[in-house]
Amino acid sequence: MSTELFFVQLINGLQYGLLLFLIASGLTLVFGVMGILNLAHGSMYMVGAYLAWYFVAITGSFTAAAILSAVVALGLGILIERVLIQRLYNRNHLDQVLLTIGMIFVFNSLQSILWGNDPYGVAVPEALSGSVPFTDNSSYPVYRIFAALICIAIAAALYFVVSKTRLGMLIRAGESNREMVEALGVNIKSLYTIVFAIGVMLAAISGIIAAPMRSIVPGMGESVLITCFVVVVIGGMGSIKGAFVGALLVGIVSTFAAVLMPTMSNMIIYIFMILVLLVKPQGLFAK
Amino acid sequence: MMANNILLETESLSKHWGGIKALDDISLQFHDRQLHGVVGPNGAGKSTLLNMLCGTLKPTSGCILHQGERIEGMKPWKFVRRGIGRSFQKTNIYTDVTCLENCAVATQRRFAGSFNLFASRHANKPVRDAAEKALHQVGLADRMNTIAAEISYGEQRQLELAMVLATDPCILLLDEPMAGMGHEESLRIIELLNELKKTYSIVLVEHDMDAIFELSDQLTVLDNGTHLITGTVDEVRNEPRVKEAYLGKDDDEEAA
Amino acid sequence: MIFEKRTERIFLAIFFLIALCIPLFLEDNSFFVGKITTILILAVFVMSLDFLVGRVGLVTLGHALFYGLGGYLFVIITPEYEAVNFWIYAVYVMGISALIALVIGAVVLRTSGIYFIMITLAISQMAYYFFFDSLAFGGGDGLFIFMKPETSIFGLSFLNLDNPTHFYYLALLAVLITLLVIKIILRSRFGRIIEASRLNPERTEALGYNIFAFRLISYIIGSTLAAYAGLLFALQYGYVNPQFMTWEMSGTALVMSILGGLGTIYGAILGTITYEGLQYLFEHMSEDWMLFMGGAIILMVLLLRKGLAGYLEKLLEK
Repeated sequence: MSTELFFVQLINGLQYGLLLFLIASGLTLVFGVMGILNLAHGSMYMVGAYLAWYFVAITGSFTAAAILSAVVALGLGILIERVLIQRLYNRNHLDQVLLTIGMIFVFNSLQSILWGNDPYGVAVPEALSGSVPFTDNSSYPVYRIFAALICIAIAAALYFVVSKTRLGMLIRAGESNREMVEALGVNIKSLYTIVFAIGVMLAAISGIIAAPMRSIVPGMGESVLITCFVVVVIGGMGSIKGAFVGALLVGIVSTFAAVLMPTMSNMIIYIFMILVLLVKPQGLFAK
Repeated sequence: MMANNILLETESLSKHWGGIKALDDISLQFHDRQLHGVVGPNGAGKSTLLNMLCGTLKPTSGCILHQGERIEGMKPWKFVRRGIGRSFQKTNIYTDVTCLENCAVATQRRFAGSFNLFASRHANKPVRDAAEKALHQVGLADRMNTIAAEISYGEQRQLELAMVLATDPCILLLDEPMAGMGHEESLRIIELLNELKKTYSIVLVEHDMDAIFELSDQLTVLDNGTHLITGTVDEVRNEPRVKEAYLGKDDDEEAA
Repeated sequence: MIFEKRTERIFLAIFFLIALCIPLFLEDNSFFVGKITTILILAVFVMSLDFLVGRVGLVTLGHALFYGLGGYLFVIITPEYEAVNFWIYAVYVMGISALIALVIGAVVLRTSGIYFIMITLAISQMAYYFFFDSLAFGGGDGLFIFMKPETSIFGLSFLNLDNPTHFYYLALLAVLITLLVIKIILRSRFGRIIEASRLNPERTEALGYNIFAFRLISYIIGSTLAAYAGLLFALQYGYVNPQFMTWEMSGTALVMSILGGLGTIYGAILGTITYEGLQYLFEHMSEDWMLFMGGAIILMVLLLRKGLAGYLEKLLEK
């Protein structure tokens, strides 16, 4: 592998990893704070991508579509938490798994009813459509750099919120001690609603950002869901920092695997995860 | 008094969590048919010691000798098989099944092949008899067929003890068996322990000072992870360092 | 009595009575006989999962790995154009599956809780892609079974696997045997320790049991039963492909088992029939059957705390 190819792949890997982080962050946040394993998280990513496509078609503006989609996703998250998830807090985890599997069915079906089963694409916004020359004979699309920057910005914002704000303090406390949060006079119900809705919105935003880079197809949610599981398990369930490191590792490993050993590329991240768990059975940043 | 055999021994046993020394350089000897009390203020390392003696915590350094053999690296269940049984500070029983079944889980290992996939669990008289015997020992015979969740807290503590006895141990590691008990119930346990120490070697961690002074043949005081003193109850009582570090404070608290 | 609950006895009596008679009424409708055969095979798979998840406490999302393995192993070890003996090769398939389960179990059982779910998922995904990307095993198309095995025992042959009704009874027999095997194990001395380890692993270890060994043996038993179910499924349709091993397959089985009433074993049969029945119904009602299916699953989680078996027990016990 030439140095040039190496760097292109490295950047591809990082960029893919950052996107993975964005999707996985919501999953690990919801699990860490609420103890809920949301199997429908991938569906929220799919919803984000379809909404972006839909609103671009209506408004003609990617920015407007992105904002509209994120807001709709936030509302959807609140609705799901209030109507469904909230009823299952004192039930066992398997009931929650079952509920979220039911949600996958519903969302896949709604997608097919509302938007059909044809693949769609979203055009890269005009302002970001160019390429930056990378070396003499290769270049890198501006939109991908922009997407990576957005992911980094959101990661930084998440870090700031979780470690520096009152909401973040409650989130960190909520992970370990429900009663303590209650004792602080905080309504844990509202906190959970907010956290779940943010989780959904993060997944949807990832879908929006991914929309111009990937084709929008039925089933896109499930394939990304499993990869996200790998990410959060490698990082340590519930840890945002872990999800960040896990996502970059998975992004880089799978990108290089696709080039270096194409016949095994699909298997490689699972092998990687199993190796990590054998050394650290609770993931890299276990609590 | 000191003529009894040494059953269990620790040599420079230490447990460090990062830089914190939860327990440092502890060398103790536990004798056959004696009750060895362990006291100390909160955070002294009593539970840490007990958890290492039963194998659930691995020491950072030092060793544990059982009948002269080093066992500190073994799995917890091997400790039990060597006759080292432990009770938990927080009641730790099978709440959904009967008291008898609770003890039967413990006795089955001794009398019947637990890897037998076909023989009914109910069709083994020695297992049942031994389980009944354990319940008799602690005075729970009349609760045999009651679901463990439905008996009183004090009775659950007794069941906890019965389950340890049901493993047929030589050494009992008891973590605050009287925690949270009423006066009457405590007296019953004290009576029971007085009886048990005639046949078993007992290591007792307990907050109830009256009880531990009454029961102990040997008493060890831990403070802040270090070994302060081991001796008879009188020796410990008259040791100025102990008064300073522990008993003095305790008296003040009681006075206040 | 290995069937302790009244509800359980009533359900199983009705189930086997109806199941025994079904082919008599559907003699000329081999499509339906085949469809019900598939449900019975799935019930075996779901029971083996229910045993692991509900009774041993091992929540696996990779159980379909063994379902697929049952089919793949059979095709791989049999000569292509020769009718082998079904019983002998079933034992081979289960034996190899047990060995594979031993190795995988020894690895995955080092983790627990949510990490166990994830590592089982990862290993089955690995196997999925292994078969999907491999040319030797037919890739995404999988492998075909050209010759149905013969089923003679000591020269006597009762079953012809090409006959849907015969195959139906073979599947029903599998349901019965799986049910009995699991129930006998649960009642056994081994079962007592399994139950204890699920209720309170810390205490069980403190009573001198090597929990790992008990879990590993249970994992092998559950996986081997799943492989048998997979073998039957592959034989019924004459092929095996990576779709047998998807995580969706594992997830669906988990849904069936929870719907039926986790850990009740007979509930797994109930859950499988209900799920498959609803799916069949909705597929015929509407193109968007998944919407109804998802809605039905969500409703049942919200309304039935202990699954269908729990609901029946509330009606029938005492």
